[in-house]
Amino acid sequence: MEKQHSQLYGVMAEFETANQLLRAAEKVRDAGYKHMDAYAPFPVEGLSEALGLGRNLVPLLTLCGGLCGGLGGFGFEYWVNVISYPMNVAGRPLNSWPAFIPVTFELTVLGAALTAVFGMIALNGLPRPHHPVFNVHRFASRATTDKFFICIEATDPKFSLADTARFLESLHPQHVTEVQDE
Amino acid sequence: MTAQDYKAPASVNQLQNASFSVGLIALALGGFLALRQPGAFFHSYLMAYMLILGFALGSLGLLMLQHLTSGQWGILIRRPLESATRTLPLLLVLFLPIFFFGMKYLYAAWLDPEKLQAEPLSLMQQSWLTLSAFRVRAMIYFVVWLLLMTLFNYLSRQQDVNREDRALRRRLKFWAGPGIILYVFTMSFAAIDWVMSITPHWASTIYGFLFVAGQLISTMALMIAIVVLLARPGGPLDGALHKRHLTQLGGLLFAFIMLWAYFSFSQLLIIWSGNLPEEISFYRSRLYGSWGAVAIVVLILHFFIPFFLLLSRDLKRNSRLLPKVAMWMIFMRVVDLYWLTQPEFSRTAMPNPLNLVLPIALLGIWLGFFAWNLKREPLLPLGDPKLAEAIASHEH
Repeated sequence: MEKQHSQLYGVMAEFETANQLLRAAEKVRDAGYKHMDAYAPFPVEGLSEALGLGRNLVPLLTLCGGLCGGLGGFGFEYWVNVISYPMNVAGRPLNSWPAFIPVTFELTVLGAALTAVFGMIALNGLPRPHHPVFNVHRFASRATTDKFFICIEATDPKFSLADTARFLESLHPQHVTEVQDE
Repeated sequence: MTAQDYKAPASVNQLQNASFSVGLIALALGGFLALRQPGAFFHSYLMAYMLILGFALGSLGLLMLQHLTSGQWGILIRRPLESATRTLPLLLVLFLPIFFFGMKYLYAAWLDPEKLQAEPLSLMQQSWLTLSAFRVRAMIYFVVWLLLMTLFNYLSRQQDVNREDRALRRRLKFWAGPGIILYVFTMSFAAIDWVMSITPHWASTIYGFLFVAGQLISTMALMIAIVVLLARPGGPLDGALHKRHLTQLGGLLFAFIMLWAYFSFSQLLIIWSGNLPEEISFYRSRLYGSWGAVAIVVLILHFFIPFFLLLSRDLKRNSRLLPKVAMWMIFMRVVDLYWLTQPEFSRTAMPNPLNLVLPIALLGIWLGFFAWNLKREPLLPLGDPKLAEAIASHEH
């Protein structure tokens, strides 16, 4: 490792069980930290509440995506049938809206689904080939199998290496490690 | 947990007494009005009957669905669903007035030889729509429904007694699949016999599904209102009903509203596209004039507004607002049934007194009997192997 180029990313604590992680996350949140994240090998119910994560933008984006898809679908059919290439089909009005509904519905679903998936990926900051937490050997080898981690990041306004490390020690983790960003 | 017996609270008793009183008064009023206009009485009676049949049969359908899928929401509403299916004997009794007296006012188009002569039916319809065939089929529907009701209530009660017997769970699940198929088929045919045959010259293959979807909406709405009532502080489900259950129940209500809209629109789109004289009569009498106004009301208040309200996760988790939306859906089911059935009897959408009195009468009597049934059993299925997990406050 080239120590001279590295800078501090945060301090990480390691826990044995999901419940310990939950309780630690609640204490970190109650201590007033904002920039932190928890890592577990499986989804832990109540973890986002324990971390104090607010609402995210995905539902709103999905609604907008659905509305755009629906309006776009109806608008396109209207443009084709009424403006661009009007054609008399069995004497029906050009704006035959009942016939436009299936396409409108499908494009609403498509727009909503695509925004939900890609919005989620973008808001998670993906794709991302590397993350500083992988510099911690214990994390890289166990985080996806059987250990639970919480990392307070150096960008947090309350962060100071000594105090934060001492605070994490007080939560009785198995380990506390500094995380370096190369 | 074993110490608790989940008895019905006093509010269920109040619901029972209040519903019976209102229902019987309204029925007496309806009976008085019937002396003057027996025809109008049966026109409204059929509509009100389809509403309460919807609660009983929708409950039967949902009961089988929750046995099949074994979600946590199902365990919470299983006893109210079973109580609602046990009202089917009452529905059999309430069908007798139509069976014996009402048919000549409702189905004159195919019972009255003069009308048949004026507008003849196809040979197939003539052999299907006869007085005796109608009565035999009605009896078959009730036999199927009562058998399903007995089977699922019996096995569920066995589960309360033999809590270690895991075979009961498998048997409930095994019968639920064929049961749902039977329910959808019999209900579809019943809707054709009892409602669609009022105008035998018009036919739609999706007609029965409109009723099935409507029944699922009204049942889920009723169940949401009932579990929230039972989960009031001090109530038997206090501490057992959690936000996640409300989200699941509200999500299903949302899904059933979508299903109903999908079926309704499919029928409209196909008939509108075909534009054939014998098919469009249904919409000719329902989409113009004052009935057209009712159609717009149904579209907006039965679909669009509940759709956008139920999109919100916050609303689905809110135990004060979700039951209000649910009650609203039950009211809108009455309006939708009014729009489905009454244009055949009245040229304008202005309701007559019987249109208002009879739904109140039958709904009151049905709710009273439902509440009475609710008191018979513990309000949670104590022998269900997944009960503890379903009512735990956290999943881990």
